[in-house]
Amino acid sequence: MIELGVPNSRLILAAEQTIYMVFVSLGIGTLIAVLLSVVLVLTNPGGILKNKYIYVVVNTVVNVIRSIPFIILMVFILPLTKMIVGTRIGTTAALVPLVVFIAPYLTRLFENSILEVNKGIIEAAQAMGASYFEIVRYFLLPEARGSLILSVTTGTIGLIGATAMAGAIGAGGVGDLALTYGYERLNFPLMLFTVVILIVFVQSIQTVGNYFSTKVRKH
Amino acid sequence: MINFVNISKTFTVKRQKIKALQHVSLQISDGDIFGVIGFSGAGKSTLLRMVNALEIPTEGRMEVDGRDINALDFSELRKVRKKIGMIFQEFNLLESKSVYDNVAIPLILNHVDKKLIQKRVTELLSFVELSDKALAYPSQLSGGQKQRIGIARALANNPSILLCDEATSALDPETTESILQLLKRINKKLNITILIVTHEIHVIQSICNRVAVMEHGSVVETGTVLEVFSNPQQNMTKRFVQTVIPDEIPPSIVETLHDDVRNYRLLKIRFLGNNAKRNIVYYINTHYKVETNILFASVNELQQTVLGIFIVQVIGDDSEINQVISYIERNKIQWQEVVL
Repeated sequence: MIELGVPNSRLILAAEQTIYMVFVSLGIGTLIAVLLSVVLVLTNPGGILKNKYIYVVVNTVVNVIRSIPFIILMVFILPLTKMIVGTRIGTTAALVPLVVFIAPYLTRLFENSILEVNKGIIEAAQAMGASYFEIVRYFLLPEARGSLILSVTTGTIGLIGATAMAGAIGAGGVGDLALTYGYERLNFPLMLFTVVILIVFVQSIQTVGNYFSTKVRKH
Repeated sequence: MINFVNISKTFTVKRQKIKALQHVSLQISDGDIFGVIGFSGAGKSTLLRMVNALEIPTEGRMEVDGRDINALDFSELRKVRKKIGMIFQEFNLLESKSVYDNVAIPLILNHVDKKLIQKRVTELLSFVELSDKALAYPSQLSGGQKQRIGIARALANNPSILLCDEATSALDPETTESILQLLKRINKKLNITILIVTHEIHVIQSICNRVAVMEHGSVVETGTVLEVFSNPQQNMTKRFVQTVIPDEIPPSIVETLHDDVRNYRLLKIRFLGNNAKRNIVYYINTHYKVETNILFASVNELQQTVLGIFIVQVIGDDSEINQVISYIERNKIQWQEVVL
C-alpha cells in the first residue's frame, strides 16, 4: 500500500462529498432541464405550441448562464445560495451553483435529443388525439430516451469537473483534496491517486451510460 | 360523411405565399374508398390533413359527420381525432416500443382498462395477421409489416374514418397489393370510410370506388373510378390513366400504317360493362362492305366492371365507313377517331 499522507477517513469523506454533490445536483438539474428542454422544443418556431416570447426568454436565460464560467458563477450567486440553503459555504451550499450550472447545460443537450425525434411521430400522436402532455409523456421522451441517457452521462462528467472547483467555497470533495493536500503540500502520490480515481470514475460513468443507451436503442 | 366546402390553404414561407389548396370542394360518403391522386406538391397531403385538423384551412369549412371540425374546442377535437385513424408513408411507429405497446398507445390515451387493452391488441394483431410479432420491435419488421402495425394502431379505437397518407408509396409492388387488400377488407368488414392520397394510379384502380385528381392545389376532375378511368377528360388524368390502361397504337404498328395506301379510318372504341360482351366487330364485318383490322386492344376490370378499349382500322369506301360509325353510335358505344 502506498503511503498517501492523509488518513483513509479523509479520503472516504472526500469521495462521499463528491458523490453527494454530483448526484444531488444531477437529480435536481435533470428535473429542471427536462422541463426547460420540453418548453424549448414545444415553443420553438417549428414546435407544436409555437410561442416566440417564452422561447426567446428561456433560450436567452440558458445562453446567459452557460456563458459564465463555473468558478465565477459560484461566487456570483452567493447571495442566492445564502437565501436558499442559509449558508454560503460547505458541501450543501455548493449544490446551488452546481444546479444552476448543470441545468442549462443539460437543457441544451436534452433539447437536441428531443429535436432528433422524427416529426412524423408527433404528427401520429396528434392524429391519435393526444394532449400536449401526452405527446411529451408517451411519444417525445420515450423516443428520445437513448439519446437522453447519453446526455445525462455527458452532464454527469461535466459535473465531476465542476465539483473540483467547489472547494473554493469549502465544499470539499476529491478535487479539493487534490488541491489542498496534493498541490499545496507537494504530495505527488496523493495527486496521482486522485487523478486515477477520477479517471476510473469518469470511465465507469461513460461505460454505464453507453450500456443503457445502447440497451434502449437496440431492439 | 366528409365534406370539404370550398377549402383553400395558403402557406407563407419566407414572405412568399404558396397556395397549397385553392377552393377545393369534395364530398366523401360513408363507406367510400375515396382516392385522391396527383403528383407530389399537388396539395393532396394538405387536403388529407384537413380532415383531422392537422392543417387548418385559411378559407372554407371542413365538415366531418356534419360538424365543423375547426369550430371545436381542443378537448372536443381530440375526441373526434380518436375516431379518425391515420396511417403514413413512413409508418411513424415508436421505435422505442414493442409492437404490442405501439398498438396499445391509442387505447392508453383513451384510458381503456388494462385487461381490455390486452384483449383489443391481441384482436387487432390477429386482424392484421401479425400475432406472432407482438414482442418484436419496429426495427425488426419489414416495411409491409410496419404498415400493418400502423394499420392495427389506427384501428385501435374503432374509428369510422381511416386516412391513408401515401400508405403504400414506400412498399414494393407485392407488399403494396397485400396492404391494399387489407384496406379493402377494413372497408368491407369494419365498414370504415377510407380516404387515400397517393401518386400511384394502380392504388386507385385496385381499391377505390371514387377518385379526385389534383393539380396545383385544385381538384381538376372527380367522379367514380369507372367514369374517370373509362373516359378521362383532363390531360393530367389521361396521363395517369394511360399508365395503367394504355389506349394508344404501338409505335411499330403506327409505322406500317404510314405505308398503307388504302382508304381507311381509325376508330377508338370503348366498351363498358355489358357492352363488352356483344360482338360488334363481327357484326360490322358481316353487315358492311369493309375490312376491319384490330390494331390495339386492352381489357381491364374496374370495380367489377369490364372496360375494353379497341382501336380498329376500318378499310373501305367513305360511305361504308360512315355507315359503320352510325351503327356504332346507334348502339350507344363510345368512340373517337384516332388521328396519327
